[in-house]
Amino acid sequence: MTTRDIVFVVVGAITGLSALLAVTTRHVVHAALWLLVALGSLAGCYIVLGQELVGLVQLLVYVGAIVVLVLFALMLTRAPIGPKDEIDTPRWQRAAAVALGAGLTALIATLVIPVLGSQLVDLDGGAAAAGQGSSAGATTPGIARAIFGTWVWPFELLSVLLLVALIGAFAVSRLVLGSRATRVTRATGAGDSG
Amino acid sequence: MTTFQVANIDYIAILPLLIVFGTAVIGVLVEAFVGRERRHTIQATLAVAGLLAAFVAVIVATGHMGLTLGHVDTATDRHLFALSIDGPALFMQGALLLLSVLGVLTMAERLGGTGSDTFTPSGASTPGSQIEAVSARAGLITSEVFPLAMISVGGMMLFPTVNDLIGMFVALEVLSLPLYVLTGLARRRRLLSQEASLKYFLLGAFSSAFFLFGTALLYGYAGSVYFRDLSQAVSAGPISMNGLLVPGAFLVFVGLFFKIGAVPFHAWTPDAYQGAPTPVTGFMAACTKAAAFGAILRLAYTGLDTARWEWTNGLIVVAILTMVVGSVLAVTQTDMKRLLAYSAISHAGFILVGVIAFDQKGISSVLFYTVAYGFSTIAAFAIVGLVRQGGSEATHLSQWAGLGRNHPLVAGTFAFLLLAFAGIPLTSGFVAKYVVFSAAIGTGGATGTGLVIIGIVCSAITVFVYLRIIVLMYFSDAPDDTVAFVTPSAVTTFSIAIGTMVTLALGVLPAALLDLADRSSVFIR
Amino acid sequence: MSTGMGTLVHQGTYAAGLAAQDGEAHAATGFTAYAWLLIALPAFGALFLLVGGRRTNSFGPVLATLLSWGSFVIGAIITISMMGRAAGDRPKSVHLFDWITGGSFDVQAGLLIDQLSICFVLLITFVGSLIHVYSLGYMQDDPDKRRFFAYLNLFVAAMLLLVLADSYLLLYVGWEGVGLASYLLIGFWYHNPVFATAGNKSFFANRVGDFGMTVAIILMFFYFGGVDFRTVQAGVAGLQGAHQGVMTAIALTLLLGATAKSAQLPLQSWLGDAMAGPTPVSALIHAATMVTAGVYLVVRAGPIFEASPTAQLVVVIVGSATLIFGAIIGCAKDDIKKALAASTISQIGYMMLAAGLGPIGYAFAIFHLLTHGFFKAGLFLGAGSVMHGMKDQVDMRRFGGLWVMMKVTWVTFGLAYLSIIGFPLLSGFWSKDKIIEAAFVGEGWRPWVFGLAALIGAGITAFYMSRLFFMTFHGKRRWTDEVHPHESGLTMTVPMVVLAFGSAFLGLILGPTGIITSWLAPFTGGVQELHPVIPESAVIALTLILVAIGIALAWMMYLRDEVPQAAPRGNLLTQAARVDLYQDHVNEALLMRPGIHLTRSLVFADNEGVDGAVGGLAAFVGGTSSRMRKIQNGFVRSYALTFLTGIVAIIGALWVIS
Repeated sequence: MTTRDIVFVVVGAITGLSALLAVTTRHVVHAALWLLVALGSLAGCYIVLGQELVGLVQLLVYVGAIVVLVLFALMLTRAPIGPKDEIDTPRWQRAAAVALGAGLTALIATLVIPVLGSQLVDLDGGAAAAGQGSSAGATTPGIARAIFGTWVWPFELLSVLLLVALIGAFAVSRLVLGSRATRVTRATGAGDSG
Repeated sequence: MTTFQVANIDYIAILPLLIVFGTAVIGVLVEAFVGRERRHTIQATLAVAGLLAAFVAVIVATGHMGLTLGHVDTATDRHLFALSIDGPALFMQGALLLLSVLGVLTMAERLGGTGSDTFTPSGASTPGSQIEAVSARAGLITSEVFPLAMISVGGMMLFPTVNDLIGMFVALEVLSLPLYVLTGLARRRRLLSQEASLKYFLLGAFSSAFFLFGTALLYGYAGSVYFRDLSQAVSAGPISMNGLLVPGAFLVFVGLFFKIGAVPFHAWTPDAYQGAPTPVTGFMAACTKAAAFGAILRLAYTGLDTARWEWTNGLIVVAILTMVVGSVLAVTQTDMKRLLAYSAISHAGFILVGVIAFDQKGISSVLFYTVAYGFSTIAAFAIVGLVRQGGSEATHLSQWAGLGRNHPLVAGTFAFLLLAFAGIPLTSGFVAKYVVFSAAIGTGGATGTGLVIIGIVCSAITVFVYLRIIVLMYFSDAPDDTVAFVTPSAVTTFSIAIGTMVTLALGVLPAALLDLADRSSVFIR
Repeated sequence: MSTGMGTLVHQGTYAAGLAAQDGEAHAATGFTAYAWLLIALPAFGALFLLVGGRRTNSFGPVLATLLSWGSFVIGAIITISMMGRAAGDRPKSVHLFDWITGGSFDVQAGLLIDQLSICFVLLITFVGSLIHVYSLGYMQDDPDKRRFFAYLNLFVAAMLLLVLADSYLLLYVGWEGVGLASYLLIGFWYHNPVFATAGNKSFFANRVGDFGMTVAIILMFFYFGGVDFRTVQAGVAGLQGAHQGVMTAIALTLLLGATAKSAQLPLQSWLGDAMAGPTPVSALIHAATMVTAGVYLVVRAGPIFEASPTAQLVVVIVGSATLIFGAIIGCAKDDIKKALAASTISQIGYMMLAAGLGPIGYAFAIFHLLTHGFFKAGLFLGAGSVMHGMKDQVDMRRFGGLWVMMKVTWVTFGLAYLSIIGFPLLSGFWSKDKIIEAAFVGEGWRPWVFGLAALIGAGITAFYMSRLFFMTFHGKRRWTDEVHPHESGLTMTVPMVVLAFGSAFLGLILGPTGIITSWLAPFTGGVQELHPVIPESAVIALTLILVAIGIALAWMMYLRDEVPQAAPRGNLLTQAARVDLYQDHVNEALLMRPGIHLTRSLVFADNEGVDGAVGGLAAFVGGTSSRMRKIQNGFVRSYALTFLTGIVAIIGALWVIS
């Protein structure tokens, strides 16, 4: 057992535990903070596995942008953030959810672990050995080649997705304050001819 | 160091997609630079023009079938192409474009106002609040719905066209995200709409997660996400990895089943259909379903075809559940939109029966069914959106009582569309069910026959549902005279008329479309 | 009907049938090519009247009637031109258009005009047109007359499509169309909830039947690769023997469809309720016309039934059970229309019995169907005339002694009545007697059971029809105070007179002369001699004796003795017969209850808030809706839970399987 293995196990445990806390806490801000920890330590996992780029991107995008956005959203909407009994999940549903979650995990594990349990991947030997037949490799230049070569189309489409998110956010969040609205009324007084 | 290989792109073949996305981007610019008074008209015109231009481009693209957007890896001789422009893809694209034209036209209905009648001018306002009233008085409009719808159409067109799992996931998100937003923008019954939007979004994210998880497992299995590689990996067979195949395949299907509203992944459907602005509901019901079935076909027939013994049983269970639950629960509904949602669920089950045929007939019958159903459903929802009481939509069934006596033409049209849903002869619904069921019987073996028998029992149940509405419209007295059919402008009338005429035409003379579907039923991978 | 003899007959029929259809059903020329007009005229009428709206109120009904007569004239001309050709040259096909063609799906829409279908065309258009004329008078004062005539035209068009179709699929289109028109006619006076519920019941029975039809068509498609009559017939010949089970399955599912449409056991219950509909006219259109569709189907699908002796036996059992069943119910009904409906069920039972006997019975089934069309139409029109004069009363216990006031109705009704009970030399005598004789043909136990059933049925028929006749036209006047019986107008009496002539002489013209048997020879494998297990003359004699006993009993009970104005309690059988021999209870236990439980459990499983179904029509499920009411559970977490349950369950199942 190398140092790397120990670090991986520790970081992995933190990830799992904080993810669990994120869904079990009854305080929505706490949930967001635990999510932050979970996503951050996941980045740690990637780095331990030798994928610095993925790890950094994970940090930048998820920890740096998305979770912060979540927190901002919570603050801005002035929504109640404390636990509320009347919309609380009933006990039987919690139990069922736990049972199902555990069931799915167990099921996938019984299917996957026998298959992958004996597979060894040499992390330092570069990407050529990882997985069968992947040519591009998982190094940073390999990822770059893949993104701008083979995957350029899905990559470009993601920009469309971001555009949708922008317009959608605008359409959903538009709020007009009284004074401006009256101004608008005057402006559109002529009405629409078509 | 391997050299960088540039992707080969046949621009003619992807022209329809480029036009649709381009129109959407122009729409965003229009939003920014055109004055509010003219914006609605320009946006609607632009959207329809873009869709029609893209349809022409689809016809042109039929001469450019093949794989595109990618390259053949020289070292391993693998085909790494993102898109597969083939018969089913182009058929679906064309169908989606025509259906979207009708969908966009119903969305553009203004009923004399400055903006779309069914969309709220102010999405974030609390229902019934002062701000909402002010913004309504101010004549604000939400013309962003047109670019949003266009992007969604683009995603839908991409959905059956993509050639790998990552592309499929991106297409899934591109088509879904605008729909989440559109669902929450209803002008009336805002709370219901906002709730529906949130539910749809959360469950959509949930299902996307499963899709991605499945993708990861399949990648672990085959070492590639391309359908061609997947299929070859199964036939070449890394037997030791088989444990990854079944959960991976099924989880990927879960993401697609969610989109068609298959049971048990259907719970969002009634809520979202009820809460969304009615034209959006029609658009979702027709186009999302068509696109998702295109994707299911592509996955089932090109990616996982060789492994189908592993996952067909799952598909069969889902198909049976979908048919039974959809049709039985439709019986108990009292809200027109929820009822049509359950009807949509049961139809998804019937189409799944065609998928199980696993041959060309199965493909062409599914293609035909989705188109036939799409036209009927858009027209039906357009009518539902125009039956009003006291300014808001009268969707409770009791409000439809006696409609046939006060508005014979509308009720007659609606009754005809319901008969099409029921699969009564001389409507497109009958031919669609016939081709799907006969495809399943022809090549589905004993399983196919069993499914068809269940399907027939279920359609008998749904007939009861539809006939009940017809009886209600014609044979009951209206409680009072306050329920009215709002006379729509030419755009909605046009889409209702086209939807109804196509329903009739495909029932009487389906040969042309069946022939086209048959010729378009060969996948390229 | 032994299997040995059966097989012999089958082969003969195949040869003849195939020759009739395969070799010579070539494209129609001359006037026959315009056969599509038969359907187009009434279809146009229905469309015109419905779309034209109130503007057509004034001339619509007359136009509809003229169009219906137009169809009859065309049918008559086609018949005459057909008679001018040699027997083998008679069947003609008219190609309409390519209906469902796309790769491997290939269904042509076309019409088949042969000896069998033309019989139906004549019956439907002639009787249908008479109904139109009669309705002109009967519906005179109804504000919605135009809509009614539109439905009548629609009915005629759909019925013609049903019998003229050249494939089972197109036949199914007509089948559904007839169902739709009948639904509309039964529910015509929709403001009366009872009538609307009756429509619902007919609808359910017909859905069960349609299910059978659909399965049959799909099985045909699967095994024969096509659904047109020719392909199926050839396919049956090709597959015979090897696929006995398939033939039985197809035949039995077809029979299910036929029992629903023809009101046979176990799906007969709707017909009686449909009589609650607004007019004797719609009662008639069902009883005399629509219900024959099932018989047509069984005869048309003859080759399939012949290939499966089991299925044939089932048809015969259904037929004989129904004929007794209907007759018993007929004895207990006091509503004149319901009594006639029960009689219809019973008479169709005779036809089914004949059709199930195979080629020896086909001609007699059709023969009885034609004569029945006339005398039953006469009876219904007569009943309508009585009701018209009695302010729409239907309770026979309040009739009596009407013959004085309504002479024309009395005479025409009387002729039809004598015809149905098989009075010698009248139409019913010729056709029913032949069926009873045919039922006595065969070996072993069968001729005795089925023959006796047919024989006893004839006796009961005589009893209940005499009861009906005596209670209505003779005996003491038991009218309520406000009625003043009077004879109906000419538009109503003329059709009755015409039908009375048919009731009297049609049998004589077609039967003993051998016209009907030789005309239908291509379907029956040639004219055949009957060899009943007891001599022919004995059968006739026995029938007449039983009929006489029936009349005598009715005379004693309803003419000699006073008829009480309130129905007496009666014995157990009478009580059972009044409620249709508990048919509704059986249906409820077998079909409704499980359906309700399924719905309820699914609703529970789906976390679905249910606030009950709407309207009295939804009583089927709506009755229990209050018990199904649960609080709305629309939390997204519940949805996600369902979602996850599905995934775990299905992956688990897949894992267990593999």
